[in-house]
Amino acid sequence: MSEKKIKNIFVAGPITPDFIAKSIANHGSKTGIGGHSIFMGQVRMDEIDGKLVSAIDYTAYEALALNKMHEIREEIFSKYPLSCMHIHHSLGEITAGEICLFVFTSSKHRKPAIDACNELVERIKAELPIWGKEIFADSSHQWKENI
Amino acid sequence: MHIEIISFGKISELMDNQTIEIEGVGNTDELQQYLEKKYPALKEMKYKLALNKNIVQQNAQLKNHDCIAIMPPFSGG
Repeated sequence: MSEKKIKNIFVAGPITPDFIAKSIANHGSKTGIGGHSIFMGQVRMDEIDGKLVSAIDYTAYEALALNKMHEIREEIFSKYPLSCMHIHHSLGEITAGEICLFVFTSSKHRKPAIDACNELVERIKAELPIWGKEIFADSSHQWKENI
Repeated sequence: MHIEIISFGKISELMDNQTIEIEGVGNTDELQQYLEKKYPALKEMKYKLALNKNIVQQNAQLKNHDCIAIMPPFSGG
């Protein structure tokens, strides 16, 4: 593992459109970039056995998740010629319709940004120790499973 | 030997985070058997262990004050 500082990806609460807009604006000075790719995960109001999901409460094994994310970040940076990579994941209760995952990659040309963004999203969902508890309108819950 | 046990997701509803004092358990396979005996519902669940923040891929030796995390399938994103 490299000596690079381990970045925090966790945000308490939803990721706001304002935060995302600022993140995009921050790249205006990086004029070598020709393409951005953004993925946003939104909490879906699923219907399960006749009950609607009103929110997802996210928890994580943060120390392990950040170590793993650091590894993934290094692997993706060595695989694709990226200028930038930003990842944010919510913790706590996120209401249906709010953003809980924000992945943002940038490169000189579009393809590496798009491919890296896709690969990051897949790996984040499969490899990071994060759990979502689906909360129903009647306050009952069930634990989400990624498919 | 003292082992710290932490659990996440669905499994956190089955057991509290705790430090257990056990003898005769020297590795993660033996600890898994111990835990499944203490919490029979675990046997029916899919989970992975992490030893001191590293996911356990194969049986690993335990030492005093190690931390074991019990993790059901991930569901982030």
